[in-house]
Amino acid sequence: MNRYLFFGALVVLALVYPLLVQGIPVWERMGALVLLAAIGASAWNIVGGYAGQVSVGHAVFFGFGAYAAVVVYTHLGWPPIAGAPLGMLLSVILAAVIGVPTLRLSGHYFSMATIAVGELVRVLSSTSDFLGGAQGLGGPAMPRSVFDLSFLSATPFYYIFLAVLAFLLGLTWWIERARMGFYLRAIKDSERAARALGVSSGRYKLYAYMLSGAFTSLAGSLYLCMFGFVDPESGFGILISVKMVVMAALGGAGNLFGPLVGALILVPLEELSNSYLGGRGAGLTFVVYGAIIVIIARFLPSGLLSLFRPRPSKPAPKSEIASGHAD
Amino acid sequence: MLIEAHNVTKAFGAFKAVDDASVTVEEGDILGLIGPNGAGKSTFFNCLTGDLPVTSGRVSFAGHDVTRLPPEARARLGLARTFQVPLTFESMSVLDNATIGALLRHPNARDARARARDVLQRVGLGHVIDAPAKSLGTPGRKRLEIARALASEPKALLLDEAMAGLTPTEVRDAIELVRRIHGDGITIVIVEHLMEVIVSLAQRVVVFHQGREISRGTPREVTSDPKVIEAYLGRRKVRHA
Repeated sequence: MNRYLFFGALVVLALVYPLLVQGIPVWERMGALVLLAAIGASAWNIVGGYAGQVSVGHAVFFGFGAYAAVVVYTHLGWPPIAGAPLGMLLSVILAAVIGVPTLRLSGHYFSMATIAVGELVRVLSSTSDFLGGAQGLGGPAMPRSVFDLSFLSATPFYYIFLAVLAFLLGLTWWIERARMGFYLRAIKDSERAARALGVSSGRYKLYAYMLSGAFTSLAGSLYLCMFGFVDPESGFGILISVKMVVMAALGGAGNLFGPLVGALILVPLEELSNSYLGGRGAGLTFVVYGAIIVIIARFLPSGLLSLFRPRPSKPAPKSEIASGHAD
Repeated sequence: MLIEAHNVTKAFGAFKAVDDASVTVEEGDILGLIGPNGAGKSTFFNCLTGDLPVTSGRVSFAGHDVTRLPPEARARLGLARTFQVPLTFESMSVLDNATIGALLRHPNARDARARARDVLQRVGLGHVIDAPAKSLGTPGRKRLEIARALASEPKALLLDEAMAGLTPTEVRDAIELVRRIHGDGITIVIVEHLMEVIVSLAQRVVVFHQGREISRGTPREVTSDPKVIEAYLGRRKVRHA
């Protein structure tokens, strides 16, 4: 009962947050940025956390989403948000193309392959005139209709992102409890044992990767709608991929709310360090992320939320198992 | 014929770990595969389950040619196995471990859970259902391997050294459990180097040595076969009294 109350209070807080910080643009913006980062990291969590396939190239999908949104504006004159479904579709196809060969690799080799693909796409995008080359592309300078999602404050974005995040977490929650969730966790723990029990590990990893790619792409499209601009670095840069991994790992990879907790800590940290240190702090982000990776890996491999998980109350009495009889 | 292996050879480079082995298992059998360390019995076992692709030869299961099928497809046909070193799903509870197996025939998670609960009771893990699997010791993990495999409702259960590392009392309990599983109508193939286990369980035994089959028959027949004694103990001068 206590847990539901706590959870309910958090939901109410999330709903009224923009009213609490109304008129302070920095904090209005911060709320939206936290949610956007949480969407990206939660999408990553499906394949990286639950299935344990640590992709460090998810910026590919993020960039596809961002570019899809800006391309439909630049080349077709559509509102950027109309590019979101296109980006998601392309990302699912791309995930299949990347995933079939790379998901056969295990552990670090898969991670390295995804980095390679991510960097390849970044370099290619900077040489493409269609995508605006190294300069990137901008969205509509002046809103033409409400569909351009051009708002003076960040609050409308906050609620759009909140709805998308709620949908994504709801979907993840449902998967977690269904056969797919069990199978993904089994694959993470021991792929060989999972296969011996009839789990088509290749197929399930690919499904997770495609689903994860689609929602990462949606995060990219939403990013473009809010910022109105994307270039190869802000779309396909490796820091985008690293942020998703670090946020999920900090809160707890493979945990429903882990990525959100990670975003709640890291985004304000980054925004505040940028605003206090100004230009001098630009490189500091990398230092902070590096330090966090080291600290999590050494002291908290299961993330912050693992601190709140109840300790196993009943450790199995080993002597009893030895003589444990059925009937 | 439930399992048929025809002229199976598994080579690692020039080394033939399994050399032209043919074994058939009938429905309702308990077949023992024995042999000294390095005899190729585990390699042969992994060729049956699909964990290792054969170099040449043919494997069929329940009327299907499964030579080229991956382990998960063989599991779906009803071939379950345990691992010599238990591959427990460490992050899950005992119940969830068994649920993974049960989900094969019961796609609904709630049904699978109920089924997993039954199986855990049957193998004697009823009192630790909600414990984290990583808190189990070796005997518990070996039992959990068997429970997971049984939860997938197999036609045949292949046990890879399911008794290794157990104390004599635990071995007796485990033998009792395997008997009970066999009594439920499940065909059993058991790889073991504990003679005691094979003698008290298996109806038929195949003996491997250096990748080849050197003897087959009832446990009594093979344990008195000079070739088998030589393989286990080395050549000796046989002195008749």
